[in-house]
Amino acid sequence: MKNNDQRSSIFWLAAGLAIAVYSGKYGLGTLSSPGPGFLPFLSGLAIAGLALVVFFQQFSKPGREKIKDLWQKKNWPTVLMVLGSLVLYTLLFNFLGFILDTFLLMAFLLRVIEPMSWIKVLAGAIGAAGGSYVIFELWLQAQLPKGFLGF
Amino acid sequence: MFSNVLLGFQVALQPMNLFFCFIGVLIGTLVGVLPGLGPVAAMSLLLPSTFHVSPVSAIIMLAGIYYGAMYGGSTTSILVNIPGEAASVVTCLDGYQMARKGRAGPALGIAAFGSFIAGTLSIIGLMFLAPPLAEGALKFGPPEYFCLMLLGLIILTFLAGGSMPKALIMAAFGLFLGLIGMDIMTATPRFNFGLYFLNDGVGLVPVVMGLFGISEVLLNVEAVIKTDVFKTKIKGLLPNLQDWKDSAWPIIRGSVIGFFLGILPGGGAVISSFVSYAVEKKVSRHPEKFGTGVIEGVAGPESANNAATGGAFIPLFTLGIPSNAVTAMLLGALVIYGMQPGPMLISQHPDLFWGAVTSMYIGNIMLLVLNLPLIGLWVKILKIPYPVLFPLILLFCLIGVYSLNNNTGEIGLMLFFGVVGYLMKKFNYEAAPLVLALVLGPMMENALRQALIMSNGGAGIFFTRPISLVIMLVVLTLLVLPLLPWVKKKREIVAEMAEDE
Repeated sequence: MKNNDQRSSIFWLAAGLAIAVYSGKYGLGTLSSPGPGFLPFLSGLAIAGLALVVFFQQFSKPGREKIKDLWQKKNWPTVLMVLGSLVLYTLLFNFLGFILDTFLLMAFLLRVIEPMSWIKVLAGAIGAAGGSYVIFELWLQAQLPKGFLGF
Repeated sequence: MFSNVLLGFQVALQPMNLFFCFIGVLIGTLVGVLPGLGPVAAMSLLLPSTFHVSPVSAIIMLAGIYYGAMYGGSTTSILVNIPGEAASVVTCLDGYQMARKGRAGPALGIAAFGSFIAGTLSIIGLMFLAPPLAEGALKFGPPEYFCLMLLGLIILTFLAGGSMPKALIMAAFGLFLGLIGMDIMTATPRFNFGLYFLNDGVGLVPVVMGLFGISEVLLNVEAVIKTDVFKTKIKGLLPNLQDWKDSAWPIIRGSVIGFFLGILPGGGAVISSFVSYAVEKKVSRHPEKFGTGVIEGVAGPESANNAATGGAFIPLFTLGIPSNAVTAMLLGALVIYGMQPGPMLISQHPDLFWGAVTSMYIGNIMLLVLNLPLIGLWVKILKIPYPVLFPLILLFCLIGVYSLNNNTGEIGLMLFFGVVGYLMKKFNYEAAPLVLALVLGPMMENALRQALIMSNGGAGIFFTRPISLVIMLVVLTLLVLPLLPWVKKKREIVAEMAEDE
């Protein structure tokens, strides 16, 4: 593997082929009456073909490009924590209800990067959850879910 | 023409529409100022909340966000050397240097005035060009439409900063995403992975908020950015006479460049600001001074990126084809409001077209009034620390996506595309071709199938009709061009420059 482009192109090669193969299931039809799988099939082939182009292009590039560790010196655990909290928020959204769920998420996010004092965190989380409830539920009338506690 | 403009002003001057225009440009400027939240994400955020108002008001507001963001983006470029928008990247080069020399005021001033003049000129261009073009477009059949949409995608990938094959992969992947869901002709659900909400197709809003909103936050939290607002007193916003003399031609040239590059499907604000900077450097009598804080380097690109927004509305209103991610959002909005975008739009909904166009004129005046005195406020907003800001950005994205269909599945979809966008940025893939292709996907599939049915399966139909033949030749040229040695070299230099930033 020469560089990061070559690594990512392998992913796209696999993805393109998978799309093309899967499209066959929906029926390609004929040229005079193309079926539901026709254009997905072509797009899959295009992805795979272009991935090959990217892969082989890298050999003709001067050697200074190397595989870089894209997560070196990066604070990737924070990314995982933020992402994890968002997934959890989504899963609990209907169960806990908008206000409680949002309060918990905001409190977590406000502490995850830079630990602020708990008073600031509480004030921020209450403000964000309450404020967004007023704007979106009461004013814009988005129908946000009520949780098992009834709010 | 005159009566149409009058009709437009009648619509745009209604208090309700004035209000939405104001909200639009205000929010636009705000997201332009805030790095990491662009007009596309802001428009998708506000889209659900516009369902209660009339389509005209909604489009007026959404358009206001677009050109408002172009204004706001320049403020951060000049003051903190961080472009709020991709289209303001070049403004950093000379704008920030001017600020360091204590000339932040005139830099901000000329950016605002230049944007105003360019915005106005491009609206006039839009008024004159759009109606006749729409009439011409009535002669287009499915093959022409298919070729045009293909051309738009190819131009966007051709102009993409990095590698063209990688941009094309993104376009092809976006096309595939656009095809997910129920097939219109046979009612077969495709690629829904067992998730029923995907039968309606992959929504534009979750994808855009994921790619542009969530992914940006993820990138920022892993390397918390320390913004350092340039501590200078901003005094004397008005450029002096010499500044005006230096900037007059760059503004006019920037307007023309921006407008015509904006019309091109796939062109747009980012490219036109780069081209304008290059042109100014070329025609200047002192090119060596560029990058040290010359006012031409601010006036030209800032005018160009604003003029491009006007130009970008032409393919949208005349053909119903979006030319970039922002107009793709607007197209999505039109469809939600039950309008049929295409050549008939102007004649069927004159109030919408002329109202939107004249509101842009009013919006530009509002921006000028808003920006000069409010710069102090924008600077204060820039000082909000990121650890406080990012939870709010995430919260807005979450609520925005949910309230679209009251479906948590779409939040999941947004988070998925947040991760995809995060990885795409890590591995240097561009999101714009993906978004444009996602919107064009169903339209392209329809046109392609109709064309093939028309020709009884002969692909020759794309090469025998004169208009589609010409477009196809351009497409092929653009695909072959990067392979030529000297073009290849130029593109590599540009790509390296982009990477260095």
